[in-house]
Amino acid sequence: MSLRPYLTAFGLQWKIGLRYRIAVVAGLVAQMWFGAVTLMAYASVYHAAPDVQAPLSLRQAMTYTWIQQSLFTLLPLGCLPAIGDAARTGAIVYDLLRPVDMWNWWLSASLARLLGNAVPRAVLLACVAGPLAILVGLGAWSLAGPASLISAALALLSITLGALLSATIVMWWNILTARTLSPLGSYAVGTPLAVLLSGMLLPLPLYPDWVRPFLLAQPFAGITDIPIRIYLGTFIPGGVATGLGLQIFWLTALTLLGRLWMRQTVNRLEVQGA
Amino acid sequence: MQTPPSPSDAITVSNLRKTYRIREGGSWRGKTRDIVALDGISFSVPKGQIAGFIGPNGAGKSTAIKILSGILRPTSGEVQVNGLVPWTNRIAHVARIGVVFGQRTQLWWDLSVAEGLALLRDIYGVEPERFTRNRARLADALDLGAIMDQSVRQLSLGQRMRAEIAASLIHDPDILILDEPTIGLDAPSKLAVRAFVHELCRDRGTTVLLTTHDMHDIEALAERVIVIGHGRILADSPFEDLRTTTLSERILELDFHDTPPELTLPAGAHETAREPHSLTITFDPSQIPAPALVAHVGHLPGLDDLRISRPSIDEIITRFYADHAA
Repeated sequence: MSLRPYLTAFGLQWKIGLRYRIAVVAGLVAQMWFGAVTLMAYASVYHAAPDVQAPLSLRQAMTYTWIQQSLFTLLPLGCLPAIGDAARTGAIVYDLLRPVDMWNWWLSASLARLLGNAVPRAVLLACVAGPLAILVGLGAWSLAGPASLISAALALLSITLGALLSATIVMWWNILTARTLSPLGSYAVGTPLAVLLSGMLLPLPLYPDWVRPFLLAQPFAGITDIPIRIYLGTFIPGGVATGLGLQIFWLTALTLLGRLWMRQTVNRLEVQGA
Repeated sequence: MQTPPSPSDAITVSNLRKTYRIREGGSWRGKTRDIVALDGISFSVPKGQIAGFIGPNGAGKSTAIKILSGILRPTSGEVQVNGLVPWTNRIAHVARIGVVFGQRTQLWWDLSVAEGLALLRDIYGVEPERFTRNRARLADALDLGAIMDQSVRQLSLGQRMRAEIAASLIHDPDILILDEPTIGLDAPSKLAVRAFVHELCRDRGTTVLLTTHDMHDIEALAERVIVIGHGRILADSPFEDLRTTTLSERILELDFHDTPPELTLPAGAHETAREPHSLTITFDPSQIPAPALVAHVGHLPGLDDLRISRPSIDEIITRFYADHAA
């Protein structure tokens, strides 16, 4: 089986993601703004209660926030826009007419779209919140470096798994879209789940003790929270291996179940007519 | 009565049935009801033939087309396309067919036609030389030169349809399925599409299955029409046969510069309309040949002009549907 169709799907969505340069700049401004507001909130909370032993230090919370903000578009907020359009117009039947494995075909496209959106923003925001912030004398508010070189390498591996995991969750939204023939449901379900459970709204390590194990064990933690914890060298019960293991577990489970759900959905489209 | 598939047949369909289960009332607990879309149809299309597939809305045409394309699974029955069962060998099957749904687009709105074709090259794994050759041939035959670098969203409907047809053929499919390829097109675009399909079949031996509501497409292209209604095949014959069996009558129109005279007509002809200066006579040429009828009326006083016409193809098909309560 040739990889070329999947690389092509990837290349196409990557290009489409990069095409919206104004959106990158607008997104950057919005994320800088939310990042700065969040940081000020943390600063006042941490200063108001200096005796409390928080799971993250203030510097760590700031770095966590900057990385989360820079990776906002890596989150599985909804289906791949192209699939939403195709579902609405009925052009989705053409996807069934291509001699490709539909899961891999949509997955390549979804991954490319996430990366095409997230990579330029992440690089830009990291430059602004890191070196640039230090240069202008805002070092205390900046994105701090990794805990160690090993942490950095493991974090890179982990964020790669995180991107794959996110694309796999997008696949679930894609299938939902194909079933309901509308992208709206996937956004209504996907956006709040992803924002809340990934740690975007509040870093997962800062939730109360009793919910933290559940939050770490759910799939959305594997997208950005686990990679950030590894980057910060902060506590994961069981160590880095648990973090990576959870990511691999969810990646495998969601792929296997998702493929079953997809086959059932394609059968249903085949039975009911697209 | 089952005939084994012949090796010269591109498509064989036997006893194909499809029922849809629909939920009434739209609620969770609503009763379900089965709707029969195809009620056991059988036909075969030899390689290199253009077969027209017609029928009123809701007759089951689209269902049949979707089953043959491999995107819909029938309830029962057998289908072989190029020797493959479409819904069990989906990937191998779709690699060898080309499909155009006239009301949907397979090209990418954001990309140019050339970029879209290059993507399809990668999807179908067309070798570079073959792709270059096919692209040049299709660009020439479908007059795509000027629009190759325009993005699809900027194309007019006629331009887009020509690009869609090129997109469906870039991988040299043996079978081309056209679902209403001329819908919404202006007259020159329709003629261009028809001429292209005709040449494709003649020069490359591509088998074409065509559905349309435009009977002129059928008249211009199809060697054979399969008429479907209520999920059954109502007729399967060359179009001329359909004309002879359904509405073989001719129309004779006579213009007068005064009030048309009263006249007695030979058997097989009768007056169907009378206006202040004209008269319409409908006749059956098997009972009264046209020259004899013209000779009969030719010396009427005050006759200015006369015309003989056949019922239009739309009238024939409307009559056919009415006769079969389709």
